[in-house]
Amino acid sequence: MAIPPVSRRQFLATGSALIAATYVPEWAEAFQAGATDDSRRAEAADVALARATALGASYADIRINRYRRESIATRERQVLNVSRSASYGLGLRVLVNGAWGFAATNQVEPAAARAAAEQAVAIAKANAALVTRKVVLAHADQVVATWFNPIKRDPFEVPLETKTAFLMKLNETAMAVPGVSFVSSQILFVDEQKYFASTEGSRISQRLVRTYPQFSTTAADRAAGDFQTRAVVDRAQLIGYEYVEDYPWFADAEKAGHEVVEKLKAKPVVAGRYDIVVDPSQLFLAIHESVGHSTELDRSLGWEANMAGTSFLKATDAGKLRFGAKIVNLVGDRTQPGGLATTGYDDEGVKSERWHLVRDGMFVDWQTTRELAPLVGQQRSHGCLHADDWSSVPFPRMPNVSLEPAATEVTLDDLFKDIKRGLFVEGRGVSSIDQQRYNFQFGGAVIREITNGKLGAMVRDAAYQSRTPDFWASCDGLGGPATYRLWGTSADGKGEPGQTNAVSHGCPPARFRNITVLNTGAA
Amino acid sequence: MLNREASLQICDTVLAQAKTAGADDAAVSVQSSIESHARFADNRITTSGRAEDLGITVTVWVDRRRGAATGNDSSPDALKQLANEAVQIARVSPVHREYVPTLGPLTYGDDRGFAAGTAEVDLAARAAALETVLGACRKENVTGAGFHSANASATAAATANGNRRYFRASEAGLSVTARSADGTGSGYYAGDHFDLARLDSRRIAEQAVGKAVRSQTPKPIEPGVYPVILEPQAVADLLGFLTGSLDARTADEGRSAFSGKDGKTRVGDALFSERLNIYSDPLHPEIPVAPSTNEGVPASRLSLIKGGVLENLEYSRFWAQEKKRDATPGPVNYIVESTQAPASIDDMIKGMARGLVISRFWYVRQIDPRTLMLTGLTRDGLWWVEKGRIQYPVRNLRFNQSVLAMLAPWNVEAIGAPERRSPLMVPALKLSGFAFTSISDAI
Repeated sequence: MAIPPVSRRQFLATGSALIAATYVPEWAEAFQAGATDDSRRAEAADVALARATALGASYADIRINRYRRESIATRERQVLNVSRSASYGLGLRVLVNGAWGFAATNQVEPAAARAAAEQAVAIAKANAALVTRKVVLAHADQVVATWFNPIKRDPFEVPLETKTAFLMKLNETAMAVPGVSFVSSQILFVDEQKYFASTEGSRISQRLVRTYPQFSTTAADRAAGDFQTRAVVDRAQLIGYEYVEDYPWFADAEKAGHEVVEKLKAKPVVAGRYDIVVDPSQLFLAIHESVGHSTELDRSLGWEANMAGTSFLKATDAGKLRFGAKIVNLVGDRTQPGGLATTGYDDEGVKSERWHLVRDGMFVDWQTTRELAPLVGQQRSHGCLHADDWSSVPFPRMPNVSLEPAATEVTLDDLFKDIKRGLFVEGRGVSSIDQQRYNFQFGGAVIREITNGKLGAMVRDAAYQSRTPDFWASCDGLGGPATYRLWGTSADGKGEPGQTNAVSHGCPPARFRNITVLNTGAA
Repeated sequence: MLNREASLQICDTVLAQAKTAGADDAAVSVQSSIESHARFADNRITTSGRAEDLGITVTVWVDRRRGAATGNDSSPDALKQLANEAVQIARVSPVHREYVPTLGPLTYGDDRGFAAGTAEVDLAARAAALETVLGACRKENVTGAGFHSANASATAAATANGNRRYFRASEAGLSVTARSADGTGSGYYAGDHFDLARLDSRRIAEQAVGKAVRSQTPKPIEPGVYPVILEPQAVADLLGFLTGSLDARTADEGRSAFSGKDGKTRVGDALFSERLNIYSDPLHPEIPVAPSTNEGVPASRLSLIKGGVLENLEYSRFWAQEKKRDATPGPVNYIVESTQAPASIDDMIKGMARGLVISRFWYVRQIDPRTLMLTGLTRDGLWWVEKGRIQYPVRNLRFNQSVLAMLAPWNVEAIGAPERRSPLMVPALKLSGFAFTSISDAI
């Protein structure tokens, strides 16, 4: 089965039309799986699943994935690095007597797949004495499907010169601002071609393309031994090269240049209590840390106690616990267009969906997988199983978790209007939150004073600190639909061995009352 | 894992193809790996697996233009294609202004950080070790979660200028978090070694369980500046921010904690306690590592901080060339130790009038690279000390603390014996002051 949206033949045809003569036809040859590759892959999957079943597995599934990445890194007026990588392999998960076993190999062929099945079953059996509760999976539909995220222009077909020229112009634009000392920029393109097969008969092919542009400006005062940076790093989306062409990146670069110069001269914040308005470019991270992670059911059950931690939410809290103010509505959503965690089906073949985690301020539901759903009495998974590589064990990962905007149009100025002493927080600063997701501290890239409803001068060294339920209870204003933005983090860490997950969070700007603000430069 | 001959054969095939395709210079690395793990939580096994992979990276230069490609397929066609692709990327890339010719033949020391038993895990022995851990948890009525890992890799590298090297490395680790049944106590302990046989599962479990039992029902204290004793794990959680800042280029460019005024660096300044030494040594008996930097420079002992004085920063091959000096032979690991006889944690507690004992930190982030100002939280064991004795557990606290101020000459009262927390050897520290800014409800 060829993977959409372009067949190998189409890819080569359009590719040769689009690209310069110097471009790399073998790159296309190598990574567009053809019919032979597809049949070899299906054969390896079938052999592995059959072998696992013969050895006593009550359930098995396999992911045979091909990843390709292209990254370009620059600083100021030079390209530091252009690299491409590709990785192909299979990872097999088996359930034997209620215990999981997993094995993975970069050899995608029947003999290696069969050996992997034997290893996975041996691992599950060796651990049998350590099983005190047998794994039970919620029902999942048998699915035979193909899914891909719509892209207008495949980044892997765009000539390299076009991409480096984009980054050079980005750097040049920021460097043109007097006072900017350094600029670095990177762009990463990721193409995931995933094949899933299970002993329940599901066979799913998916292709996901992500585009990750980011840059950072630095202003240094060498005489004083002082410097500041302004990074724009959380704009990645599930999207093609059109993102580079359609978004006003150069305006952002110029703005970031002016901002970092202003930041170097900004006065330190006066610590105290403030009403704060948090822009989507920072609020997405607060949502990620305080809502995204606290509503992971595996954390609440203690499965992540040794690493990321647990949750202040208990397994019995759903439907009973007030999470925030009544205007706060948060959804889990693996269907959101552009969302980094958007997909057609999760890594155990469950169709993506959208559901409320917090409704009218009440905590109502969890992020679940087929293994987790029955543990809170649910019949179906919300589709949150994910592995970051063919070699990784799939486990519960965060969907896009987004804050719904106000029903009517509310502007930023409306949110500022009745604030006497406040701060407006934009962009990623330093974030830190405890292992049960209560106490957090978030900085911002650019923080300005709000005085009597008006936006004022920039301040530096500010960070806001709160406790998750207090913070969301203090929310008394949300921007309207026109202010809603999607931001995302490309490398959310969780699990052991550590895995990364790309996930987006949509939100409007929001206002929070009487929040503690620290001067982090004063300690 | 591939042996020396097979690994270098792949390197040679790719180098030859790169040359044929037009590369003026090239470097190839081949890493083969086996990773095995078992996770447990809620006093039972959760996931367990094994993965084998191969990583082949070729970097080439054509007319000083650079291209790089990575793949995991070692078939002849794939290797040819990988080299061709790197050359094709180089041909359409701008001139690489930081090009330094690849290394020629060099002599490297032995690699001592590999144990075959870590590469091929005995599944029954691992299950027995985990049963020891879970048994210790059940005995004290605490809930155990943790992670057992055993990884091994073989890395070969070769260049068009004749450099050839091959090293093997392994790393085994066990970490355990124990939580009391009432959810008011939590303890963590971890150990690692290159030789799986040297992991002491029983001791690691007993330490974690003991901390969980002793940390139950913590009392709140007011945030503020307190004297503290940091256990080695807590020191390890912070010192990576210091060791990660010892780069010469960022210091020279004026954007590092070690940038001085008027364009100078702070090398030669007595920034830290005169008791403090930090150095790198690939042959250190407890934490031996491959005797080569990532760039292929033969590694040898390198002093970074000596008697509290910043003695050396790390120079990459490019930055060394710019500054007309040699690249530094490391760092490849970090050994933090006292210039004096080490103090035990018990003695540190006996000598403490009032203060805190800290097991570990969590979610530590750097707020300000100028001062290495960090924020984060205590986790899994925090106790109040008064009159030379531990009095009671206290609730977790958020800190905002500069590493430079923490290790300043006036703040370090005692340094313990270093323990392995890969890639560090770190001691316990007794400090006069450590700044906490808020209380956390988290257990």
